[in-house]
Amino acid sequence: MAATAQDSQAPLRGPEKKDEDREDETEFSPFYGIDKGAVLQEARVFNDPQIDPRRCQQVITKLLYLLNQGEVFTKKEAAEVFFGVTKLFQKQDINLRRMMYLCIKDICPGADEVIIVTSSLMKDMNSKVDLFRSNSVRVLCKIIDGQLLAQIERYLKQAIVDKSPVVASAALVSASHLLGNNAEIVKRWINEVQEAAQNKNNMVQFHAVALLHALRASDRLAISKLVTSLTKASVKSPLAQCLLVRYVAQVIQDSQPGANGEQRPFYDFLESCLRHKAEVVIFEAARAICNLRDVTARELTPAITVLQLFLSSSKPVLRFAAVRTLNKVAMTHPLAVTHCNIDMETLISDQNRSIATLAITTLLKTGNESSVEKLLKQIGSFMSDIADDFKIVVVEAIRSLCLKFPTKQRALMNFLSGVLREEGGFEYKKAIVQSILVLIQEIPDAKETGLGHLCEFIEDCEFTYLSTQVLHLLGQEGPKTKEPSKYIRYIYNRIILENATVRAAAVSALANFGAACEPLRPRIIVLLRRALADNDDEVRDRATLHLQQLEGKAGGPDAVQPRLDVNITAMEKALSDYLAGPTDKPFDISVVPKAPPPVRASGSSALGLATSTATNSSGGAAPTSAARKDPTAEYAELLRSIPQLAPLGEVFKSCEPVALTEKDTEYSVFCVKHVYEGHVVFQFNCTNTIAEQVLEDVSVAMDLAEASDFEEAFTVPLDQMPLNGVGQCFTVVTRQPGAIATGKIVNILKFKVKEIDPSTGEAEEEGYEDEYVLEDLEVSPADYVKPTLLGNFRKAWEELDPATEKEDEYGLGTREGLQEAVEAVIGILGMQPCEGSEAVPPNARSHTVLLAGIFVGYQQVLVRMSFGIDATNNVAMKLVVRAESIELSEAIHSIIQDA
Amino acid sequence: MQAQRTWGQYFKGWLDWLRSLFFKREMELSLVGLNKGGKSTLVQVLTTGTFTEDMIPTVGFNMRKLTKGGVTIKMWDLGGQQRFRSLWERYCRGVQAIVFVVDSADADSVPSAARELHSLLEKPSLKGIPLLVLGNKNDLPGAMGVPQLTAAMNLRALPDREVAVYSISCKNHSNIDRTLEWLTKHAKS
Repeated sequence: MAATAQDSQAPLRGPEKKDEDREDETEFSPFYGIDKGAVLQEARVFNDPQIDPRRCQQVITKLLYLLNQGEVFTKKEAAEVFFGVTKLFQKQDINLRRMMYLCIKDICPGADEVIIVTSSLMKDMNSKVDLFRSNSVRVLCKIIDGQLLAQIERYLKQAIVDKSPVVASAALVSASHLLGNNAEIVKRWINEVQEAAQNKNNMVQFHAVALLHALRASDRLAISKLVTSLTKASVKSPLAQCLLVRYVAQVIQDSQPGANGEQRPFYDFLESCLRHKAEVVIFEAARAICNLRDVTARELTPAITVLQLFLSSSKPVLRFAAVRTLNKVAMTHPLAVTHCNIDMETLISDQNRSIATLAITTLLKTGNESSVEKLLKQIGSFMSDIADDFKIVVVEAIRSLCLKFPTKQRALMNFLSGVLREEGGFEYKKAIVQSILVLIQEIPDAKETGLGHLCEFIEDCEFTYLSTQVLHLLGQEGPKTKEPSKYIRYIYNRIILENATVRAAAVSALANFGAACEPLRPRIIVLLRRALADNDDEVRDRATLHLQQLEGKAGGPDAVQPRLDVNITAMEKALSDYLAGPTDKPFDISVVPKAPPPVRASGSSALGLATSTATNSSGGAAPTSAARKDPTAEYAELLRSIPQLAPLGEVFKSCEPVALTEKDTEYSVFCVKHVYEGHVVFQFNCTNTIAEQVLEDVSVAMDLAEASDFEEAFTVPLDQMPLNGVGQCFTVVTRQPGAIATGKIVNILKFKVKEIDPSTGEAEEEGYEDEYVLEDLEVSPADYVKPTLLGNFRKAWEELDPATEKEDEYGLGTREGLQEAVEAVIGILGMQPCEGSEAVPPNARSHTVLLAGIFVGYQQVLVRMSFGIDATNNVAMKLVVRAESIELSEAIHSIIQDA
Repeated sequence: MQAQRTWGQYFKGWLDWLRSLFFKREMELSLVGLNKGGKSTLVQVLTTGTFTEDMIPTVGFNMRKLTKGGVTIKMWDLGGQQRFRSLWERYCRGVQAIVFVVDSADADSVPSAARELHSLLEKPSLKGIPLLVLGNKNDLPGAMGVPQLTAAMNLRALPDREVAVYSISCKNHSNIDRTLEWLTKHAKS
């Protein structure tokens, strides 16, 4: 019990309280350390024949305190307390009755027990005392079921329009809660609710407006009507007005943006709210304007002006609200916020650290080059006073500022290294290190200083994760600097002082220096020798390996940092396949598809540790959201490396792999179609899953009866189908150069089987021919089209001959939403969405998508699709195609028709 | 003059209060019985003296207080529907009397009423509490008299407990006075 009492005081503490303040405040609650058992014992007074209302109130307060501290009452205890409380209905004491209502609501016994108070509550609901009426309505609505609700509906309707505001509010709030399970009944009260919305009392009006909105929540048109009528009516309550502003903002959000220059609906209303008497309404309206989708500078101006006034308010909450909103606006419209810079600068010294931090970060976003140093000085003065979360915000703001003004990198870098030396949690330190890493990568001038700061940092870093990251980076970048030798000391110190993980990373980093810098090599070898006596296996292993390599064995110094030119994802798959099977044979790396040389992703903001260290992954060339992933590049290298295929020319497009076998069959075969100018190459990735046999001379024979446009040219057989690995064989067919030949192809896998003698483990000398029918393969027009990026869709569209235009309409059936339908059609066509048209605005009922692609033979094709969705989520689509020839336009339509 | 009278009234009220301190008697009782037996109607008649034909079923319980002849009677009028019957016992603990109301004109309901009564009184917590069985609605034709009711409900089988049976009619106010008399007699001082 003592333990729970200790815990129970924790939530009451203010989070910002300093330790010394806490000393004085230990005795804050009169209920400190009360014990559940004792309170339950006390609760027996409820059953006394003579009730003492004061004493009962105290006991109920204790019970509620326990409940709210998270104490759990067993079913039996709860029932005992509950029935005890019901006995108190014999007293008409107003204060006691209020505590009883609270207790009944909170203790929540079983549904079959709680019903016992219904009659008493109904009596209270018709009492003359306002407090009885209001509170009994609240409790009653909490415990009631639909059937009983219908019985007392009449009273509730009456309560909604009750003269007493407490009763009306109670009924309205209860109705909002009932809406979840009994929406039908509550909807019948709409006239009363509407009347309550005209109530002179602010609270009643607020609740009535909220309920009116909730009643229509699912119907956008009705909401729009409601908002229109409410904006015209006089809503006096500031809180109700705030709600209205929010609803208006939602309506604007849902509505289609008007044509250029046309004013948004309701913008006038929002602007008029900026002149409201109540600050809360002004702020709500300003915030709504700032959050408008695609808000223009002109629309922002009045909102920014009122927020600027708030900045110099005497109320901290107003200052905070304003600076927080402006901070957000500064991300998208830095220019609009610059007016406030002077007011913002005075806020830097605000007593409230949250306000100061937000002010600083806003200034960092809007500030110009000359003010950077001044700002940095001011930030430095309060960095130690704020919480880590805010520090991270500041660090991120500094990073983006540094990228914006590269010439200021020295000052900013010094600042970062300064804060790096101070106390801080892992997330904070990680944010700083990441910022420095990004800056090193993006700003060449910052590299040497940045590395220097990081070296200092790892001298005293308690986070293994960060240390290893930094060491890895040093190993990568250090040898390329002018003075590599100065980093050696820092790295070697790690081998002496740190834990095993860091030591291992340091050994590898050292070896990198040895490999890349000839003059340093003898000294590195000496240092690495010392790590041979390390007590950790991994460290010793790495040291041994790297020593051998540096001395010219085991692949020589170049092997210290092996460059794997394989696709990492495919490598991972191949390795896990290999581990899943019997591992008596060594792993064959040649079966893994090769990867193109790494492409450094542009777009600096997303760059963190992950991309900077993952060098070889083709996935590391992170596709930007707009560009569709192109598998062609991955395969081009492989195809070029096969002599028979080289003369076919450049591959136009490689399709996604298609499975030609069921799961868990003896052989697994995937087919990848490669389209050339005059050929189609079918690449079959074959895997043998049976250890007892060897499959040799594997090829795929094709029956082209249903694909008469093709003619089989030759096959490239696979010598042996690897066990649980992937081997490729190819079948090449010819077609008219540039033609869009389609059809269905029947495939037969042919091979020679040799059983493995279980006694010797050797394959038999003699094998026998066998074949296996694979699934059919379809070649469709979609295989001949690939996405292409297009600068100006309209121009390209007009340049194409209108005679090639072909239009048709399609029903897409019931869909989850427009976005899903759009994505599905783009997926089928395999073309590139232009001008960001693939993103459907939220709640849109219709949408137009522009797609660009090229057909084999580099012929352009453009598609305009208009989608519409009705109330039952049925999607219809109009498809207009223009291309370099009418045949291509038809081909696009046939893709959709076949899908 | 005016003020004097007020003072006089004050004094009298104070005297009444003083007297009630010394001579006040209290009792607490629970009214149980099958639904539509006439419990809430009986409470109505006892407290206001008026008979109401169409009462709504009691969902849960009603608590009423009544002062008669220097005795304050607290009455727990409990709902008679099936779902409340298991909860009767909680409100019968510690009372000075249990009043069981039966519809004496509805012979079909009497066996199940008897069953509920016996299973309630089996509870050890209710040991020894005096029981008053009221055969209500004796104005209706075919209503059972006291001897029939006693037999039909097997009241003689109830051990160690004072049991009384009256045949009453809320509608005609018959035997209501005798009921009150029995109740006040059982009040504790």
